[in-house]
Amino acid sequence: MAELVGASGLVVELGARRGLFRRRPGVRAVDGVDLSVAAGETFGVVGESGCGKTTLARTLLGLQREAAGEIRLEGRQVGGEGPAAARRTRAAVQYVHQDPGAALDPWWQVGATLAEGLRIHGVADAAEREARIAEMLKAVGLDPAFAARYPHELSGGQQRRIGLARILLLRPKLVILDEPTAGLDLSVQAAVLRLLQELRERFGLTYLFISHDLSVVRRVCDRVAVMYLGRVVEEGAAARLFAAPRHPYTRALLAAAPRLDGAAAGPGLPGDPPSLRAVPTGCRFHPRCGAAESRCATEAPVLKDGVACHLAA
Amino acid sequence: MMGATLARPLLSVENLAVHIRTDAGPARILDDVTLAVPKGGSLGVVGESGCGKSTLLRAILGILPGGATVPKGAVLFEGRDILADRGASARGRIGFIPQDPYLSLNPVFRAGDQILEVMRRHAPGSRRDHKEKLVELFRAVQLPDPGGALAKYPHQFSGGQRQRLLIAAALSCEPSLVVADEPTTALDVTTQREILAVLRQLIAERGLSLLFVTHDFGVLATVCDQVAVLYSGRVAETGPTRAVLDAPLHPYARMLLACHPDRATDLLGIPGTVPAATAQPPGCRFHPRCPQIHSGCPIEVPPMLPVGEARAVACPWHGEAARG
Ligand SMILES: Nc1ncnc2c1ncn2[C@@H]1O[C@H](COP(=O)(O)OP(=O)(O)OP(=O)(O)O)[C@@H](O)[C@H]1O
Ligand SMILES: Nc1ncnc2c1ncn2[C@@H]1O[C@H](COP(=O)(O)OP(=O)(O)OP(=O)(O)O)[C@@H](O)[C@H]1O
Ligand code: SF4
Ligand SMILES: [Mg+2]
Ligand SMILES: [Mg+2]
Repeated sequence: MAELVGASGLVVELGARRGLFRRRPGVRAVDGVDLSVAAGETFGVVGESGCGKTTLARTLLGLQREAAGEIRLEGRQVGGEGPAAARRTRAAVQYVHQDPGAALDPWWQVGATLAEGLRIHGVADAAEREARIAEMLKAVGLDPAFAARYPHELSGGQQRRIGLARILLLRPKLVILDEPTAGLDLSVQAAVLRLLQELRERFGLTYLFISHDLSVVRRVCDRVAVMYLGRVVEEGAAARLFAAPRHPYTRALLAAAPRLDGAAAGPGLPGDPPSLRAVPTGCRFHPRCGAAESRCATEAPVLKDGVACHLAA
Repeated sequence: MMGATLARPLLSVENLAVHIRTDAGPARILDDVTLAVPKGGSLGVVGESGCGKSTLLRAILGILPGGATVPKGAVLFEGRDILADRGASARGRIGFIPQDPYLSLNPVFRAGDQILEVMRRHAPGSRRDHKEKLVELFRAVQLPDPGGALAKYPHQFSGGQRQRLLIAAALSCEPSLVVADEPTTALDVTTQREILAVLRQLIAERGLSLLFVTHDFGVLATVCDQVAVLYSGRVAETGPTRAVLDAPLHPYARMLLACHPDRATDLLGIPGTVPAATAQPPGCRFHPRCPQIHSGCPIEVPPMLPVGEARAVACPWHGEAARG
C-alpha cells in the first residue's frame, strides 16, 4: 500500500542550550529512526518509558523540529520547517493527547471547545459548525446533548470520545494516538478500541498507535515498531513480531508482559534503561542483553530486514 | 488447637459497609463486603473503576476520608477488630504500598530519612538498628548501591527504583500483612515484572500475606492465589484465581474478563457504566447491565452462594449464565 507518512534517518535533539556563555549539548531523544506508515494501517510504536515515542510523534506532527533526516507526507518532503509552517503543511496529521482532559478547557462546555477547533480551521458558518459537531458526537457514540457538558462532568471514557471527536472534526488522514487506553478500565478500554476500529473504517483513517500495553497493540495493530533508547530495534507485521520476536529486547519486552494464564514470564530484563546522557557504545542495548558478544559493545547494528541486532540471522 | 489457629485468617472483612455523606445524598461506597486473607495467602481485588477497591483498602488501613461512616461490619486483623480504634492497633503491622511512586515521597526530604521516621514511630530499636535494617531491605528489593541510597533524595531515583523504595518502606516495620493499591500501574512492563518478582519473593521468604488491588488480570494471575471481584461496592464473586479466570461464574466477572484483549473475540465492552455510589439500582446492582436478568433481579439483593469448597457467587442464575 502507498506510504502516507514516512521518515528516514530522523534525529531529534532536546534540551540543548545555545547561549553565548553557556552551551549545553542536547540529548538525542530520537536518533536515526526510519519509519514508513502505509495509508489505512494501524501502526504501533512500543518501548519503555523515555525511549522517544512521544518525541517521535511530536516531530512527525511538526511541533518539534528535527535536527537531521527527512519526513515525508503523501510523497512530499515536509521536513525542515518551523512549527507554524509545519503545522500548516501537516494539517492532515493530528494528535490525540495522552491525557484526554489536558486538551479540554475546564471552563468551556465541550461543544464550545469543538466549535473553536473548527473555527480555527476555517469553518466560518456557525450552523455548519453545530451540525458537524452533532454528527461527530454521534459518530463517537455520544448523545449530541454532551456538547453542553463541562469536562469534569465526563467519565474517562467519555473524555476520550470527546478528544477523538475534536480531532476527527478536522478531517485528518493520520491520527497519532498517544497511549489511548492508559488509565481506562477493561470494559471502557474495549469500547474505545472498538470505536477506533469503526472510525478508521468509516473515515478512512490511518493510525500511529503509541502504547505501553502489548496486549492492546497485538490486538489492534497491523504493524509494529519497537523502540529502545531513541532507535527502532525491530519492526514488522504485528502477528509475526508477537509470534516470533527477533531482537533480544523485543523478546524481553514480550516476556515481561503479565499473562492471563499466570505462566511464569521468561528471563527478565535487569536494570533500568540507561540515560540519554550516557548512551552505551555499540549496540545501545548491549549492557542489558543476555546474548551480547564482544562486537556488540563496539559496533552499532543497523536496522536490516526489520531488525537491528548483530545476532539476528 | 494448633489447627484452629492456622485456619483463622490473618485479616477478615465481615459484612463491611462504608457510606459517605455527599451533597447528592449518602453514597453507599461499600455494602456487605465479606473477604478473608489467610496467613501466607494473597488475595487480589479487581473490578471496574469506581467499584470501591481503594475505599476497601482505606477502611482496612484506618484512613477513610472525612464524612465516611461504617454503619455495619467489622475488620478483624490478627483476631482484633481494628475499625474500633481506626487502625491504630494495627499500625506498623500492616504495610502499605501506594499506587504512585511519584506522589508518595516528599521531594524535599531524603527518602531514607522519611522511612526511618516511620520506623522510629512504629518499630522497636535504635536509629542505628533501623538504618542497618533499612540497608538490608534496600538490598532485598534490589536497589542499586543500597548503602548510598539512604542519603539520596526521591528525584535521584527512577520510577522503578522509587517503587522499590516504597516496597522497602512498606516492609520496614516488619508487617504481617502487605496491602498494595495498583502498585505497578505507573511502571513499564519490564520494570513491573522485576517489581512483582521482588514482591513475590519477599512475601514467600517472610511468610507475609498480601491484599492486592489491581485492574490488570495478568498481574492478578501472576501474584494472587485468591481473587474477589467487586462490583458497585459489593462482592460479585470470590474464589481461587485460576478457577475464576478459567471459568468465571458471575455474569459481571464473565463480561469483564471477556473485555481482555487476549480473550475478547469481539471487543464490545460492557454496555452501560458503573452506577454512581449515590444512585445504585435496587436488587442486584448489576441488573441494568446484565444480559442474564430475571424478573427477581431488580427486586432482591442476591446472596453470596457457595459453589464447591472455595468459591462463592452473588448471582442465583450463574449456572444458567455459564451455559450461555
Ligand atoms: N526538554 C528536554 N530536555 C532533555 N531531555 C528531554 C526533554 N524532553 C524529554 N526529554 C527526554 O527525552 C526522552 C524521550 O522522551 P519521550 O517523552 O519521547 O519518551 P516516551 O517514549 O514518550 O516515554 P513515555 O512512555 O514515558 O511517555 C526521555 O528520556 C526524556 O527524559
Ligand atoms: N469522598 C468521597 N465522597 C463521595 N464519593 C466518593 C468519595 N470517595 C470515593 N467516592 C466514590 O466511591 C466510589 C468508589 O471509589 P474508589 O476510589 O474506592 O473506587 P476504585 O474501585 O478504587 O476505583 P479506581 O479503579 O478508579 O481507583 C466511586 O464511585 C467514587 O466516586
Ligand atoms: S442476579 Fe440477575 S441481574 Fe444480577 S448478575 Fe445475576 S442474573 Fe444478572
Ligand atoms: Mg510518551
Ligand atoms: Mg482506586
